[in-house]
Amino acid sequence: MTLRCHSPRLAASLDAWRDEMTGLVFVADDKTGEGWSEVAAELTDAFHLAKQSLSNGLAVVFVVHSDDLLGRNGPGKAMVATGLLSAARTAALEHRKAGVAVNVVAREEATDPSLVARWCGFLMDGELPTGQLIHLGSEHIGKALP
Amino acid sequence: MTAVVTGAAGGIGRALCRRLGQAGHDVVAVDLSSRLEDAVAMLEREGFAIHLVEADLTTAAGVEAVAGAVRRSGGLQVLVNNAGITRDNRLVNLGEDDFKAVLDVNLGAAYQLTLTLVPMMGRASIINVSSRAYLGNFGQFNYSMSKGGLVGLTRALALQLAPAIRVNAVAPGLIATEMAMGIPDDVRTRMIAAIPADRMGEPEEVAELVAFLANDASSYITGEVIVIGGGRSLSR
Repeated sequence: MTLRCHSPRLAASLDAWRDEMTGLVFVADDKTGEGWSEVAAELTDAFHLAKQSLSNGLAVVFVVHSDDLLGRNGPGKAMVATGLLSAARTAALEHRKAGVAVNVVAREEATDPSLVARWCGFLMDGELPTGQLIHLGSEHIGKALP
Repeated sequence: MTAVVTGAAGGIGRALCRRLGQAGHDVVAVDLSSRLEDAVAMLEREGFAIHLVEADLTTAAGVEAVAGAVRRSGGLQVLVNNAGITRDNRLVNLGEDDFKAVLDVNLGAAYQLTLTLVPMMGRASIINVSSRAYLGNFGQFNYSMSKGGLVGLTRALALQLAPAIRVNAVAPGLIATEMAMGIPDDVRTRMIAAIPADRMGEPEEVAELVAFLANDASSYITGEVIVIGGGRSLSR
């Protein structure tokens, strides 16, 4: 597994599942600021790592924050989260015939890191689902989709 | 009443300039293409107040050129971030230069220009021209990511700038522009067959939607993404 995660607590939980995962888990950085260079760097990192994983026929999971999908934490984090979601759907479309899954997990502030890790493991376990946004929480209910 | 339109030389851009001109705006038309002069001349002949700014919005100088034009105009009521390019390829074949070029123009330039112009706005409306590809589109990892990023930008700014400034996005599907006409005939025919409306959209239809979002008639709408794609988001 390739793990790109700057949160020590979440990284530790994901690492515990390392043997179960054979693709990329890319966790959007909570510390991305409002400068365009930071946003571009984060998205470029995701591009390189996703390309590498999918070129090797391995699944991809992007982990974002639910609040960021709704723009609640400012434009920098929002552009990263929604950019990753759109990119995941395109990559899923490109790799569905090959049976390689690309998905997005949206966590909330209170989401247990071990739950994120379990879902990442599950999403890498088989060919499907793909192109999905999995919300781990209920804050999104009644709000904008996708 | 000034309106800034980026990507003004393209098919949708020209329609935007004309429609916002019809609505009574002084239009600042921004593009880096030499085609812009022809487009502006045509609109001026039609009697619209159009100010041409040739600028590369991925540079600080380009953004500043637009800001200067807005300062001279005395205030900004409408900003339409319409500039966009494509460099299509499957992700596994996509090079970094093509990835970055699309991201910088479609998302970075819109963001930088908006940050620069917001302090010049009072009660105003920002419309980001995203794309139906934000829902996912084969061979467009970079384009899809950039247009998806515009959705996040739209939502975040809508929250930050309310109530004075409304921020919305439109997401066009296949529109009859030079870009669409560059698609091979057989491919374009198949694409149209998958559109429930059984045709391409017209640039004027996108412009009409943008004009509505620019107008006080839509004053209760902010932070939304409106897809204008003939039902393509639903069909197989």
